[in-house]
Amino acid sequence: MPAAANLVEDLRRALGAEGVRAEPLDQRLFSKDAGVTRGEVVAVTFPRNAVQVSQVVLIAARHGYPIVARGAGTGLAGGAVPSQPAVLIVTTRMDDVVVDEANRTAWVGPGVINLDLSRRTASLGLHFAPDPSSQAACTLGGNVACNSGGPHCLAEGSTVNHVLAVEFVDARGQILTVGGTAPDPAGLDVRSVVVGSEGTLGVVTRILVKLTPNPPAVKTMLLAFSKVSDAAATVSEVIASGIVPAALEMMDQPMVRAVENFVHADLPVAAAAVLLAEVNGHVAAVDAEADVIISVGRRHGATEVRLAADERERLLMWKARKSAFGAIAQIAPDYYLHDTVIPRNRLVEALEEIYAIARRKDLLVMNVIHAGDGNLHPQLVFDGSVPGQLEIVKSAAVEIVEMSIRLGGTLSGEHGIGLEKRDLMSLVFSAVDLDAQARLREAFDQDHRFNPGTVLPAGSRCFDFGRSVAEGAWV
Amino acid sequence: MTALRSTVARLFGKMVAEAPGSPPADFTLAPTTADECAAILDMASEHRLRVLPWGGGTHQGMGGRVEPNVVLITTRLGGMSEDTADLTITAGAGIGAAAMEERLLERRQTALFPEDSGVSTVGGMVASGSSGWRRLRYGPTRDRVIEVVLATGDGRLVRGGARIVKNVTGYDIPRLATGSFGSLGVIVSVSLKLWPMPEAAATVRVDDIGAALIRAYRPLAALETRQGCAIYLSGTPAEVTAQVAELGGNAEEGHAWPGRPTGPFVVAIRVPPASTAAAVGRLPRDAQFVAAHGVGEVIVSLSPDDGETPLALRSWAEDLGGAVVVLAAPVGHGFDPWGTPPASLDLQRRIRAAFDPVGVMVPGRMPGDR
Ligand SMILES: Cc1cc2nc3c(=O)[nH]c(=O)nc-3n(C[C@H](O)[C@H](O)[C@H](O)COP(=O)(O)OP(=O)(O)OC[C@H]3O[C@@H](n4cnc5c(N)ncnc54)[C@H](O)[C@@H]3O)c2cc1C
Repeated sequence: MPAAANLVEDLRRALGAEGVRAEPLDQRLFSKDAGVTRGEVVAVTFPRNAVQVSQVVLIAARHGYPIVARGAGTGLAGGAVPSQPAVLIVTTRMDDVVVDEANRTAWVGPGVINLDLSRRTASLGLHFAPDPSSQAACTLGGNVACNSGGPHCLAEGSTVNHVLAVEFVDARGQILTVGGTAPDPAGLDVRSVVVGSEGTLGVVTRILVKLTPNPPAVKTMLLAFSKVSDAAATVSEVIASGIVPAALEMMDQPMVRAVENFVHADLPVAAAAVLLAEVNGHVAAVDAEADVIISVGRRHGATEVRLAADERERLLMWKARKSAFGAIAQIAPDYYLHDTVIPRNRLVEALEEIYAIARRKDLLVMNVIHAGDGNLHPQLVFDGSVPGQLEIVKSAAVEIVEMSIRLGGTLSGEHGIGLEKRDLMSLVFSAVDLDAQARLREAFDQDHRFNPGTVLPAGSRCFDFGRSVAEGAWV
Repeated sequence: MTALRSTVARLFGKMVAEAPGSPPADFTLAPTTADECAAILDMASEHRLRVLPWGGGTHQGMGGRVEPNVVLITTRLGGMSEDTADLTITAGAGIGAAAMEERLLERRQTALFPEDSGVSTVGGMVASGSSGWRRLRYGPTRDRVIEVVLATGDGRLVRGGARIVKNVTGYDIPRLATGSFGSLGVIVSVSLKLWPMPEAAATVRVDDIGAALIRAYRPLAALETRQGCAIYLSGTPAEVTAQVAELGGNAEEGHAWPGRPTGPFVVAIRVPPASTAAAVGRLPRDAQFVAAHGVGEVIVSLSPDDGETPLALRSWAEDLGGAVVVLAAPVGHGFDPWGTPPASLDLQRRIRAAFDPVGVMVPGRMPGDR
């Protein structure tokens, strides 16, 4: 669709010619994220600061287009994919970093790449704890919007635990800051709602992040098992044993083999499942904690235990884990990376059911799991050019969601709801719950100017009790 | 009023109750289930009655005074179920925070509620967003509230979050409810993420808390009082022994937590963590206080008659982006409980209206209410 000429002209006047792109190729390039859905983009804007974001918000409103914020487009749930023709705000030019060493915080632009922040603060002995596997590409704005996790979120918590304040532009174009460096700001914790809101409440223009001291000692180990259930039982027992590892990740055999072909890390490819565990902290603590994990693993029949001897070997183990997604590309042209959560003592059952679902649908599934917090990532590998394949994959994905809920889990642990899981929300929330979420959204954005159609299914706002705010109710 | 009284007697007669210390009200009711709780709030919204939820009554000194028509006592909202292997617990709002912690301790787990919870309820702890001294290491209570069932001001029962330690499904209503002081509705039950209790613990007395805080690796707390400074450690026995040696102080086994300052007028000074020492430097000479270094909070007991000090502290703290918040004050004391309202006040009011459209919940209590 050719962009509405006036809209583009108005945007160019506000941002300069280099701040707006609206050629058909741009419209196509930005119509997708890393997931499987595509949407329609009218114009792509690259504002440099909150004031410019505010201008874009107001111009888009005047022309009747919604706004979709976008970082690096590595999201997997279609969060940055417009559900109707929209103006995109791409944050990559908002990439300032101002570190406050004394308070161990930094104000960062939403366009800053996750890994770049930790690199910038490395000389101070500090890092940003959430470490999504996509951390070399994804932005902090995207991390905030999705409340992203990563292997090290087991001990450190997801993004929301590391965000002290956000500045955002609201639907009226106002620039608001919520939260701060001081603890427990008075009033409602609006910051916690903006984090994880997937771009539906406003465009985040600055973020105050907490920085974490680098651990003085780290131990990383691989444990191989001849049965998936032994690996899963090890995870459950480690969690129940009273230590909280820095990370506790699991890969099953198909995944390990794919990764080994890709990174050549001498992984135990004969094993049915491999655990990657890391402990960190005080020098005097890590040995004892590593011993606990190893002895629990041995008790559950670990066939091999490999402790990283040096930093090179340690990094290789992590490279293997973090290449899981890249490795799949070699096996089939397409993959559907799934994300659900279960209570972490139900891993064995969950994996058995995932294999059964894949068998029934005649699909290849590979599992890489943030096992320590019960966050499953089954990846359904397929060839999208075969007619009907994507539909089969999607139906398997729904069955995996239903199974996770049956085990006491939920839809998403870190990738978000976006367009992908919007229509599954009613599996975990009642109509009243969804209505409350819709009202909360409307408290920020009455007219659904931001990312309309994502997260909440149509018709969520259904309960109107017919009562209105009383005059002077706040006195 | 007479008609209303007979309606209440008919519907809620069984729930009429009393709570020690609760303010006078037209109706003091103690529901035992979520549905009963919602029914009371539905009635309150219909008749525009001001509602004050009341748990243990330990944090009711915070915020502006509410003159309630209905005091809703939460202590009968019970029920507790643990998932020991997954390290989560679900508890009714009325469960005693200390009792819950005691039970968890049998399994060497903790919700990290304040170490001196007294008669506080789980619901009250969450509603007031209260965190214990160990927040330096483990973060605030809000980081552990994973699920909440909320009876909204107009009597809906809304669940947010899930009993799962990692979750991005929908807006984070559990965190929003934490520290909401009843302004959205009544918290009926919560699920919390737990932590294992480390094996060993020590308290190390130090002279220079700033230096010790830098030297220690992620201590639980770094507290200063009139009596001196201490670093609180926990972990494996080997780690604690090594850290004690590194800090070179005078150590004792276990955690000797300081008592919270008491008195007619107690405030919390909240500033960026690096300004904690500066805040201590501004306190009156004889004031009893506990300063949480690395966190940025100083709790101090002030003289209620000294009008200047709290105002000066507040303007200093607010200039740093912080606040001075009242924890307890004599009735009629003129010092504003919160200070300058946040810039997002209009938005906060719209959020409240989303949960409490009539505005019956704790009118007067929150920042900007008066
Ligand atoms: C190979 C691979 C591995 C991954 N591994 C992980 C992982 O380990 N853990 C994990 O949690 N995720 C993972 N992801 C998912 C994804 O990388 C994260 O969700 C990431 O945070 C998205 O960042 P982004 O900058 O790419 O955001 P985008 O994809 O551009 O956007 C994501 C969402 O954020 C919104 N958004 C972006 N910026 C803003 C802003 N400034 N204001 C408001 N809303 C905004 C968008 O509207 C959209 O809803 C992975 C993805 C891939 C492709």
